[in-house]
Amino acid sequence: MEAEVKDQLVSIEKPELIAPPNWEPVIMGILCNWCSYAGSDLTGTSRIQYPPNIRIIRVPCSSRVDPWFLIKSLQTTADGVLVSGCHPGDCHYISGNYFARRRFLVTKKLLNFVGFHENRIQFSWVSAAEGPKFAKVVNKVTEDIKKLGPLHLYKKENFEKK
Amino acid sequence: MARVGVFVCFCGANIADYVDVPQVVEEVKRIKEVKFATEYKYMCSDPGQGMIRDAIIQYKLTSIVVAACSPRMHEKTFRKALSDAGMNPYLLEVANIREHSSWVHQKDKKAATNKAMDLCRMAVAKSIANEQLHEISVPVTKRALVIGGGIAGIQAALDIADARIPVVLVEKSPSIGGKMAQLDETFPTLDCAQCILTPKMVDVASHPYIELIPYAEVLELQGFVGNYKVKIKKKASYVNFKTCTGCGACWQKCPVKVPNEYNMGIDKRKAIYTPFPQAVPNKPVIDAENCTMLTKGKCGICKKVCLPGAIDYEMQDEIIEREIGAVVVATGYDMWDPTPYEEYGVGRFKDIITSLEFERMVSANGPTNGVPQRPSDGKVPKNVVFIKCVGSRDEAKGIEYCSKICCMYTTKHTILLHHKVHDSHAYVFYMDIRAAGKGYEEFVKKAQVDTGTTYLRGRVSKIYKKGDKLMVRGEDAQIGQVVEVEADLVVLATAVSAPKDNPELARLLGISYDKYGYLSEAHPKLRPVETAKAGIFLAGCTQAPKDIPETVSQASACAAKVCGLFSGDTMKKDPMVSTINNEYCSGCQNCVKVCPYGAIITDEVPVGHGIKDLRTVAKINEGVCQGCGSCVAICRSMAITLAGFTDPQIINEIVSI
Amino acid sequence: MNYTKQIQDIAAKLFAEGKIDVFVGYRMNGFDENQVPVLITDPQDVSKLVFTDKSVFNLVNYLKTDHTRRKRVGIVVKGCDSRSLNLMLTESQVKRENLYVVGICCEGVVDDAGEKMQNCTDCMVPDAVVSDEMLGTAVSGSGTLTYKKNADIVALAEKPLTERAAYFEEVFENCIRCNACRHSCPLCYCAKCCIDQETATLYNGANTTSAAFHALMTWSLHLAGRCVDCRNCEKACPSHLPLHLLHKQNESVIYENFQEHLAGVIPEDRGAFYKYSLKDPDDFIM
Ligand SMILES: Cc1cc2nc3c(=O)[nH]c(=O)nc-3n(C[C@H](O)[C@H](O)[C@H](O)COP(=O)(O)OP(=O)(O)OC[C@H]3O[C@@H](n4cnc5c(N)ncnc54)[C@H](O)[C@@H]3O)c2cc1C
Ligand code: SF4
Ligand code: SF4
Ligand code: SF4
Ligand code: SF4
Ligand code: SF4
Repeated sequence: MEAEVKDQLVSIEKPELIAPPNWEPVIMGILCNWCSYAGSDLTGTSRIQYPPNIRIIRVPCSSRVDPWFLIKSLQTTADGVLVSGCHPGDCHYISGNYFARRRFLVTKKLLNFVGFHENRIQFSWVSAAEGPKFAKVVNKVTEDIKKLGPLHLYKKENFEKK
Repeated sequence: MARVGVFVCFCGANIADYVDVPQVVEEVKRIKEVKFATEYKYMCSDPGQGMIRDAIIQYKLTSIVVAACSPRMHEKTFRKALSDAGMNPYLLEVANIREHSSWVHQKDKKAATNKAMDLCRMAVAKSIANEQLHEISVPVTKRALVIGGGIAGIQAALDIADARIPVVLVEKSPSIGGKMAQLDETFPTLDCAQCILTPKMVDVASHPYIELIPYAEVLELQGFVGNYKVKIKKKASYVNFKTCTGCGACWQKCPVKVPNEYNMGIDKRKAIYTPFPQAVPNKPVIDAENCTMLTKGKCGICKKVCLPGAIDYEMQDEIIEREIGAVVVATGYDMWDPTPYEEYGVGRFKDIITSLEFERMVSANGPTNGVPQRPSDGKVPKNVVFIKCVGSRDEAKGIEYCSKICCMYTTKHTILLHHKVHDSHAYVFYMDIRAAGKGYEEFVKKAQVDTGTTYLRGRVSKIYKKGDKLMVRGEDAQIGQVVEVEADLVVLATAVSAPKDNPELARLLGISYDKYGYLSEAHPKLRPVETAKAGIFLAGCTQAPKDIPETVSQASACAAKVCGLFSGDTMKKDPMVSTINNEYCSGCQNCVKVCPYGAIITDEVPVGHGIKDLRTVAKINEGVCQGCGSCVAICRSMAITLAGFTDPQIINEIVSI
Repeated sequence: MNYTKQIQDIAAKLFAEGKIDVFVGYRMNGFDENQVPVLITDPQDVSKLVFTDKSVFNLVNYLKTDHTRRKRVGIVVKGCDSRSLNLMLTESQVKRENLYVVGICCEGVVDDAGEKMQNCTDCMVPDAVVSDEMLGTAVSGSGTLTYKKNADIVALAEKPLTERAAYFEEVFENCIRCNACRHSCPLCYCAKCCIDQETATLYNGANTTSAAFHALMTWSLHLAGRCVDCRNCEKACPSHLPLHLLHKQNESVIYENFQEHLAGVIPEDRGAFYKYSLKDPDDFIM
């Protein structure tokens, strides 16, 4: 336990001390099918380059995202999460992203309250036309998380298991 | 144990140049569930698909991962390959290693390869939790309900019926026709509204596929797309339409006179009446509020004069039930009441009328035989002031939006005035002239030249009486001065507003409406005729103010949608829908609140085996569910499962890398 | 605050009139000053009922049991308890017509040391919001309610992130995964709690800090916008986890961002996650 806390301390202040050489963060990206996933496809077809740290999960709508997806990601494989959906008013399912937005704010604040840096939990609205925006978002999230270093909180057991 | 086959695509050079495909194949082979992995130039080509088919059979695979382009590209193609090999198509997962890796990490092959491996691991993990799914087929009742018999409802009903689909057309008033039946000539071509409308009305009445239910309202709608049940209340007309010949003896003899709605109250009609001579159906109804026989039991003249004996004072409202598969809502619009414009003297000065009243006056079949008259003294007006945007674009007194049609019909009115009263002069106070539409700007320009109308840009601030004239004071913003015009008659282009009973109708249909009361479309750009509820469509002004050409286009679009829906005996639906596990559901009904489509209803199930007591649980109608997953994420006890995106599938993806 | 007599009388009357099958109240525990909940089915036993500032538990929790479900129940509720009852009603867990509710104008209850409980000193809705009969004189002033942010979460929020992380890691490490918190919460009435479901991967097995973290985070989010701060959960926790921190944190975010009222005060009002407003904050999203 103590060692873990220390890890966290060091990792926040001096990532290079704790981050193994060539460490690359893993970012779990959860994208809605109709806007953000389509937008990320467009980033690809437009050959816009972005850092290779994000792993993408496709869901029908941002409203499918249960907060435990974020919690689970952070305590197992990810150093940060990005959830992206349709802009307000553009939800393919009319109101999904409005319900999701409430949960996202509360979840982000709660995770931050119990010790996760707020930049580890990020959200964006990316439309199917916003290929460049998706690249920008991924750039920002990756940079933010690189600065924070690896996330060890609540991961110990999972690491041991691996 | 799962047996997964992985097929990694080169996509020519698209993937292979930036991702080390053979290395990806080697890596995925190390996953213990993967029993077969291979690579190919173009997985989507025939030989590529053939490889999938062969491997399924040879290696007894239980799920398939294709690592290639985006699933939005070729998911369908590969699903088909699975079907062809006798495997359930939904056991496929696609790892998007082109759009999400090779194309976006072109400068770092190692990183792109690593990422491709992770994406494959995730897809393999997810596919292990995939379940066999089957396309849902929902039976459809091929009959459409059209609510509202204005031009929108008429057009939709005719188009649908012409495709040999039965239509039930419900109209609130005694005749179909709507507002268009009150118009004289129509912009931008000035053809007479009656001449183009009445043939259509007659077609409705005689169409073998249309059941017209006039003088009726919808009471209740139950069910879901393809399978609705509607309850309609047919108000008592006190006239047996089967025996009535429409001879008119009754209304000629009826002694009770009431303001005539069709002519905007300018003249009178009787208590037994047809709204206008060309009415469809051309049978009278008794207005129960004003008939003295029905209110006080005195009179009975109509019954005496009716030779076929069609009058029945005992008639009751009737409830009609029909099974239908789709609904077109076409309830039109109301005219906005200009009373808040006190400074204009609305209500105090008789010679201020609304545009629809003017429309009736200039109409050849109108109360003044087509020549405008001053309500105060019956004189023919010479100087007429038209005021536009009365109520429209006025947040303070009226409504924020532009009513869209007033600029055009006011232009039309200046022409009609000019035709009917040759020595007249028209003045138009306006904010802007909005003439966007085919031939509209030309129409306005030509009218300005032909009629010599004076256009004054600015709002009217006050109207007062001087002798028997009205003095209209307003600002002419172009010269920056206050102007006063002496008028014989003032015509207000009052705003178009949503029908008053729209909110109630929307509630009973289970669709939404905006803050003004207009019914809401599913998507403002891409689904402008659908509502959020599958199988319910919108036509005409009930969705937003619009003119006749636009109304008719939307009505025909509705018809196309209805015909599409009814093109097969059953509707095919994606199986990616949600289901509720009764055992886990506590009946909190929070899911009912979040479902955007009203797909969730409640059900009663026994509390336990052999126990009679019932408890409430939620139940999803798979015919209505669109698979958004909103309910899944808010159900705390995880009682809901969304096929294709289940919790185990997503957990597997999260923990697999 | 002592309504022992009145409550005994009410219960006796309800039994005599045949209006209830069971009365849910408090009795002395029999060995010290403290009280425990009691379900009375025999009219002879109404004399056991007490109500003082030691009546700490939220009795609404007992409406989840088979002893009360589908029965006619008399129940005593303080301000916070009544809000959870309101939510139970809204979420169709109990039928109003089956209940006879004795509402208390609550002056606050005390802990073992006799100190007023923190949720009581901070209480914003002391008078029961749903009742058939009220006891005591209204405590809440007529003035508008001002939200008091919990002092503990304010203090924690001011600490550096790493300290918070360390603090909570210790908190979660102390959880023994007994699930007493869930059992004692009236709003955790699920037919089958997610924590008990076979989706074991969710919790990664049993008793680890990581599993406790996941379970308690999920649990607190299930109560977000619903928790009424009765602290039944905290009282029940054998490891004395400061569970209110999680709930108060969520409550403050919800109050400050979505709705200016507390959970359960408005009849028919659902938790904050089951509705939305177009004006909800959007600036935290890129
Ligand atoms: C003064 C004026 C002049 C105009 N001039 C022109 C013109 O020259 N050219 C042009 O293109 N457009 C013109 N318009 C616009 C035109 O009137 C509309 O575009 C058109 O009438 C819209 O048709 P609709 O079927 O949507 O609505 P409506 O004509 O209003 O028809 C709605 C029908 O639904 C019925 N109904 C309502 N509620 C219910 C219910 N709950 N149940 C059953 N039935 C119901 C009503 O009784 C009515 O019959 C003019 C409008 C005005 C006000
Ligand atoms: S949210 Fe879940 S528990 Fe509540 S009614 Fe719906 S399915 Fe049942
Ligand atoms: S998945 Fe979406 S559409 Fe289907 S029932 Fe749930 S909330 Fe409604
Ligand atoms: S009651 Fe306490 S120890 Fe038990 S599960 Fe809840 S928090 Fe953990
Ligand atoms: S923790 Fe969640 S799932 Fe479990 S009983 Fe409470 S609300 Fe239901
Ligand atoms: S979570 Fe705890 S404080 Fe909140 S309502 Fe439930 S028992 Fe009471």
